[in-house]
Amino acid sequence: MGEENVPSSIVQFAQLDSLLNLGRANSLWPMTFGLACCAIEMMCTGGSRYDISRFGAEVFRPSPRQSDVMIVAGTINKKLELAVKTLYDQMPEPKWVIAMGNCAISGGPFKVKENYNVVEGADKLFPVDVYIPGCPPRPEALLEGIMTLEEKITGKRRWPRVDPG
Amino acid sequence: MDMREKIRVALAELFPESAPLVHLEGEGDQEVPPRESGVLVTDFTKHGSHLDVLCRPDQVVPVAHIMDREGFFLEAIAGVDWLDKQQFEVLYDYNRLGGEHCRVMVRTRVPRNEPVVPTISAIFPAADWHERETFDFYGIHFQDHPNLIRILLPEDADFHPLCKDYMP
Amino acid sequence: MTVPIHLRHDETFVLNLGPQHPATHGVLRVKLTMDGEYIVKAEPVLGYIHRMHEKMAECGTFAQFMPNTARMDYLHALAFNHGWALVVEKAAGIEVPERAEYIRVITVELNRIASHLLWWAAFLLDLGGFTPLLYAFDDREKIIDLLERVTGSRLTYCYMRFGGVYNDIDEEFITGTRDFIKRLRGRMPRLYHDLVTHNIILIKRIKDIGIISAEQCRRYGATGPVARGSGINYDIRKNEPYSVYPEFDFDVPVFDEGDSMARYMVRMHEMEQSMRIIEQALDKLPDGPVMGKSPKVLKPEAGYYYSAVETARGSLGHRLVCDGGKNPYKLKLRSPTFSNLSLYGEVAEGMLLADALAFMGSLDLVIPEIDR
Repeated sequence: MGEENVPSSIVQFAQLDSLLNLGRANSLWPMTFGLACCAIEMMCTGGSRYDISRFGAEVFRPSPRQSDVMIVAGTINKKLELAVKTLYDQMPEPKWVIAMGNCAISGGPFKVKENYNVVEGADKLFPVDVYIPGCPPRPEALLEGIMTLEEKITGKRRWPRVDPG
Repeated sequence: MDMREKIRVALAELFPESAPLVHLEGEGDQEVPPRESGVLVTDFTKHGSHLDVLCRPDQVVPVAHIMDREGFFLEAIAGVDWLDKQQFEVLYDYNRLGGEHCRVMVRTRVPRNEPVVPTISAIFPAADWHERETFDFYGIHFQDHPNLIRILLPEDADFHPLCKDYMP
Repeated sequence: MTVPIHLRHDETFVLNLGPQHPATHGVLRVKLTMDGEYIVKAEPVLGYIHRMHEKMAECGTFAQFMPNTARMDYLHALAFNHGWALVVEKAAGIEVPERAEYIRVITVELNRIASHLLWWAAFLLDLGGFTPLLYAFDDREKIIDLLERVTGSRLTYCYMRFGGVYNDIDEEFITGTRDFIKRLRGRMPRLYHDLVTHNIILIKRIKDIGIISAEQCRRYGATGPVARGSGINYDIRKNEPYSVYPEFDFDVPVFDEGDSMARYMVRMHEMEQSMRIIEQALDKLPDGPVMGKSPKVLKPEAGYYYSAVETARGSLGHRLVCDGGKNPYKLKLRSPTFSNLSLYGEVAEGMLLADALAFMGSLDLVIPEIDR
């Protein structure tokens, strides 16, 4: 079963909660947080070939107050880390984070001995729900990441998993 | 080459004491003659620039005036850390926007423990950001720069990363 | 249209066009001192995506730097690959076979078209139009498909090696490229020019906005479409030819007005010229190997080397200092957008905020290239 960031209340309506989670999962509104190269693949996912709006997520909101999910697409820097943390804190609950690309997972190609400026992974700053590896990940990988997040929210996966071979 | 000769002659006025010119062109391993300062003609196809000017730090501004007068633009400023000689070197690249092509590299060396070079940002505003970046990476101080603060690293960083003895 | 008004310098407030903004192309922060809607002072703040490329060049070998080159300007990554390959081949004296040169030119020009298409889409997105993004990305996906067959990547290519390229192109790539050029030429007049270029809203928003004079370009070192939109006829492919560019017959579009409309038209015409170059290169493509001989461990002789290539944004320079070892002693990357952005502070004074954003879009910024 997936975990939700919903504060628990005294009265639980099981069917209503699962209905709300279904609504949340199928209309995730991402925040425009493209930092570097992965941002271009995110834009391609929003284009008409890999259409992210089939999954309800094409409304990219510039403001954190109006978004559900922050797709960290790119490298986080020591100069930028305070701004990223502030943006995360400004998002209202329930919120999720997708770390897209190797830089957001662990610092990526910049995790070297002489690293003096790159934060090695978004999960050093706040909890991450889905990791999408790749440098940059293909748009299909980002769509799979959205579907994994939906599975995490609702506990069920709407599209069948493709079996290779 | 016409433009190359013209610039060489214009710059040679600043270096009256330098030895007769050596042309580093053509095949073969030619040893670079040791020199304190002076203008050297280099092979464009191998090195990418037509002239190599080595000057003292106080001659940087007169050289920039001459380049501005002849219609060049400042392409880049770079710093190099020669740890074994305990010197920093500042490289200036000048180029022409159209017309006859000529690329000039101007170099100057300063001691590593007290690196001070006069600024050329009054002549070329492009130097403003380039000198800030060289200060950021090496700690080279540019005199009379209008706003010499860090540009790429966080403002409160206390190290100069591209020095050869820096490893985090 | 910039209206000359009397700016009240004592009644100003500071507006932060922060690192996270839909219209800054990456993480750029601009500190704007405003008097109402007019800008009194604009100060770009950089460094939010500084990823230590020059330090990584010094701590690794020459070949280990090739993947880094694509991550700087990811929209025209093949030109950055090309520049690095050129300077190391110059320093080490490596010869490149002719077929490899032609393949390099074809792939770099395809990438240039893709970069300009994305600039066009993002520029119009800033100005408020969403539809052109869908049309441009449609064409761009076709280019990416072609390049992916040959290089293996969609965006950050690491295709060139010292001495050539690592993979040959096949018949399907050649026919696919010819079909793509025919398709784009058919779409250009209606979808690109009728819908957008002759659109009265676009003309009113970018004509006479952000006028840069030729002297300002020279003093700030601006190159590329920014300089060519101000009347300076400077293109490294013509003025300082490298690779096999002298073999091709193409024009360099130059417009004299210096406003955002001129820079827009320069880039639209450059796409057509790139298509001409690709067609000529495909016609003249010779047979032969695609990889020259290069030593296993590269140790160029000590000295100072420079090479310049023309990217979609301007003149990219690599200043390489070698000391005879297997690592570069120092690599300075002269990025074109760094110099193009440095004139933003002077030109944006007195502009309306919306016009300043249109001007920033017309400069075609890619921030990781500035911050390296």
